[in-house]
Amino acid sequence: MSRATERRRSTAEWLQFGVAGAIVLVTFYPAIWMVYSSFKSNREIFRSPFALPAQWRWENLIEAWQVGGLGTLYFNSVFVTLVAVSMCVLFATAAAFAFTRLEFPGRKLMYRILLIGLLLPPPSVAIALFTQLRDMHLLNTPWALILPGAAWQLAFTVFLMRAYFISIRPDMEEAARLDGANTWEIFWHVSVPMVWPAMLTMVVLNTISVWNELLFALLFVTDDAQRTLPVGLVRFSGYHSTDYSLVFAALTITTVPILILYFVLQRHVIAGLTATAMD
Amino acid sequence: MMAKRLALTTATALLLLTTAAMAQTEVRFTHSITGGSSREALDSIIADFQAANPDIKIKEIVFDDDQYSNQGLITQLKSNEVPDIFFEWAGFPVQRDVAAGYAYDLTEAMAADGWKDSFSPAVWTDGAGTMVDGKPYLVPLSLDLTNTIWYNKKIFAEHNLTPPKTWDEFVALNKALAEAGETPIVEGNNEFWPLGNWAGHIAAMVVPPDAYIAAFKQEAPFNTPEFEKALNLLVGLHEVGAFNKDMQALGADPAMATFFQEGAVMHPIGSWLVSETANLAEEGFEYGQFNTPVIDAAHPLANSVIGTITGLVVHKNAPHPAEAIKFLKFLTSEASQIKWAESGQMSPVQGVSDKAKLDEQTQAMLALMSGASGIVPPPDNKYPVPVAEAFYQAAAFAASGEKSAKDALVWLDETLAAMGKQ
Amino acid sequence: MLLFATFVLLPLGASVYYAFTFWDGFSAPRWAGFANFARALTDTTFLMSFVHVVLYIAATLVFEVTFGLVMAVLLNSDRRGFSLMRGMFFAPVVLSMSAAGVLWKFVLDYRTGLLNSTLRSVGLGDWAQPWLAQPETALLFICIVSGWKYAGFYMVIFFAALRRIPRNLYEAARLDGANGVQQFTAITLPMLKQNVIVCILLAVTGGFAGFDLFFTMTNGQPFGATEVPATWIIKQAFDQNQIGYGVALTVVLTLVVSLISIGYLKISERGNVTRY
Repeated sequence: MSRATERRRSTAEWLQFGVAGAIVLVTFYPAIWMVYSSFKSNREIFRSPFALPAQWRWENLIEAWQVGGLGTLYFNSVFVTLVAVSMCVLFATAAAFAFTRLEFPGRKLMYRILLIGLLLPPPSVAIALFTQLRDMHLLNTPWALILPGAAWQLAFTVFLMRAYFISIRPDMEEAARLDGANTWEIFWHVSVPMVWPAMLTMVVLNTISVWNELLFALLFVTDDAQRTLPVGLVRFSGYHSTDYSLVFAALTITTVPILILYFVLQRHVIAGLTATAMD
Repeated sequence: MMAKRLALTTATALLLLTTAAMAQTEVRFTHSITGGSSREALDSIIADFQAANPDIKIKEIVFDDDQYSNQGLITQLKSNEVPDIFFEWAGFPVQRDVAAGYAYDLTEAMAADGWKDSFSPAVWTDGAGTMVDGKPYLVPLSLDLTNTIWYNKKIFAEHNLTPPKTWDEFVALNKALAEAGETPIVEGNNEFWPLGNWAGHIAAMVVPPDAYIAAFKQEAPFNTPEFEKALNLLVGLHEVGAFNKDMQALGADPAMATFFQEGAVMHPIGSWLVSETANLAEEGFEYGQFNTPVIDAAHPLANSVIGTITGLVVHKNAPHPAEAIKFLKFLTSEASQIKWAESGQMSPVQGVSDKAKLDEQTQAMLALMSGASGIVPPPDNKYPVPVAEAFYQAAAFAASGEKSAKDALVWLDETLAAMGKQ
Repeated sequence: MLLFATFVLLPLGASVYYAFTFWDGFSAPRWAGFANFARALTDTTFLMSFVHVVLYIAATLVFEVTFGLVMAVLLNSDRRGFSLMRGMFFAPVVLSMSAAGVLWKFVLDYRTGLLNSTLRSVGLGDWAQPWLAQPETALLFICIVSGWKYAGFYMVIFFAALRRIPRNLYEAARLDGANGVQQFTAITLPMLKQNVIVCILLAVTGGFAGFDLFFTMTNGQPFGATEVPATWIIKQAFDQNQIGYGVALTVVLTLVVSLISIGYLKISERGNVTRY
């Protein structure tokens, strides 16, 4: 993708470059503005919102990190995402395997039921789920986010994994079966290595959605020690709504590492998406 | 599986360790005092309490005001891990908590050691909203003046203005400021209550008391000439350009910051502004306050103020009620309350206001409250919250020019009819 | 499957039951019959919230899907710099909605926001508006922010599809004398039909689930102009402590989405779009 052919660009190509560049710059500018605003004092933000900071105040970032307990938020987000995503992708792969490679009664019905989950918006069960989690004594624990988080991604993941299973021919699995391998062995040793790239894509997609989940996190966890980043950020911005520089600093701390991680992994994220996405 | 077992054993080990070191009871205390001098005072009182009672740890769970009253408190009350102590507003909210089984009956605790009598007798009257069926549930912490009009003294002086005595003077003053290029009033009304409380007070000063109460109890319509007159006062302010343009998008706290940053001349809000001064105001910022000016001198509430009591409730299913009560007694002791009052709060405990070195603004508010011909409760503390909020929204319609006063009231009655009796 | 049943299907079933009760979530539910549903049908804010969500979805089709498609075509080049630009354009997708919401609240702030201060600095101060305080502009700007956040996602999908269109098709068209626009409508669009349909499905279902951005940016304000079903449901159930009514609203939402989905699946089965 980055192999740039450097013959002279035609006028049309320069035009394309210019227009695309301008649009990208405008859409990306708010992120740049956010970063340098986080180094300004409140007074500067109020008086001259556009200007660069007169003095780069690193202490804003330190204060936000400490006051907001951002370390805990990061840790919780990583933990919840890690567990939920691995659960979801593993189960979904197994389910997709079963739906495409095995014959069992009710297969079609189960798949159709699962598809409900693909289209159902999470708010439609948020309240009932709240009371259910309370009765299970899971509120205010990471499991209140992990289990529903994984469950809600499941339908989507199964749907795409199933499509991927269909797209590859079952020859290898049939050969293994003739060699006397049982279903479990076939799944682990034959299918999983084959669908591995698709699984990675699902990991990326699920990580983005679980990491960013807000509604469940808002309702199911009230304890500071268990909160995840998105809801922590919303709460922080309400809590310090009069201290603009602090909120900018918290925004920067919570987003820039993600952006850097993304730019490092960019090729994989986009390549993964393009390889399997949506077909 | 392995990892899980390991985690469990570590947790057990940690638990044993802490139990062995110190049998500490954790009292969970949730409130919405996020910052300012009052938070400092509260934290220092908690530190004193923990020093005196090393076996008890007070764990604060804090939300900002809006999130607290939206999801913050209710998700905790309904959870399986309830807070021991929660902050609450007197009146309807306490009634609702009692009906839902969240509130602990403090009759016995209040009777012991003369705790109840340490408070000013006014907080235990019927209208105060601290009791339900004669039983105390709310431990009063502060007297709140829910709305008064704060103004920037320097800008008033620049334009040769003085606090108005009548509503007409008030409108003229707004007009003069707007024409001079100032933003006369900043209000952060995205949650409707800041302007709504004020509108509730204005309506109480215009509408005959019986009709006012009947409307909020859904026994009579809002669409009457008197309510229309009240909302038209807001329309009048809007027409002279009194309000900030982004009123409906601004939060209550950013609006307060705007006032302190001299982005506007006046800011109608409650007594809690005082405790934020140190945080938000710049050096040498001078401000004062005046009550909503007299609208109709013949009205029985012409010289009233709008106010309520805020305090703390012990949860009915609190894991540690005895420790919670112990802490609340400490918090409402004279020594703690002097600290609290000096942070800019009006204490409900007897004698504290005389002994504490009160801030000039706090003294003025106390004088205002004691000189008032009556105290009007904020609608969302006295009447069903959905009704009060619908009224607040109607007020916002009028004040932002979205609807005429008449249309806002028609909308209000229709909304209440659809909602059914609350 | 068990996980799915416990955390998706069970609450769905429970919702249907609670919807017929008056319940504050704590004391025993009281049977309410159809009262909650009757109230839902006269609740103008709730009904309007569907109008808003439909407008929002329509807008996302423009700001996300169409804009994403246009950008995919614009950024489809091997030249130096384009790979970086694609990366930058996709970047907002990895941010959380709440971060995007908080950031854009700052951008759109009336006094200190980036947008208004840019307008003022180029002498267009009169154009500065309290964007999120006016019913006419608040919803529009939420849609724009949503577009900012997701256009990159659709861009990548379309970009991948564009890469699979054989080059010789374009060369043949050029020999026939077709210009850029003609090439786009005659070759590109038909080749992307499948992707467009899937993207529309994603935008529609995603739209009904929309909560984060609305919650962080306006929470339904001003005057309910940005109220969507999700925000209104949460308000009724938690802020107003009427769980029974809130749940009834969720059931209505589920019904509406199911009807749309079934209709969509019928159409797509006929068109054999999703491999179903």
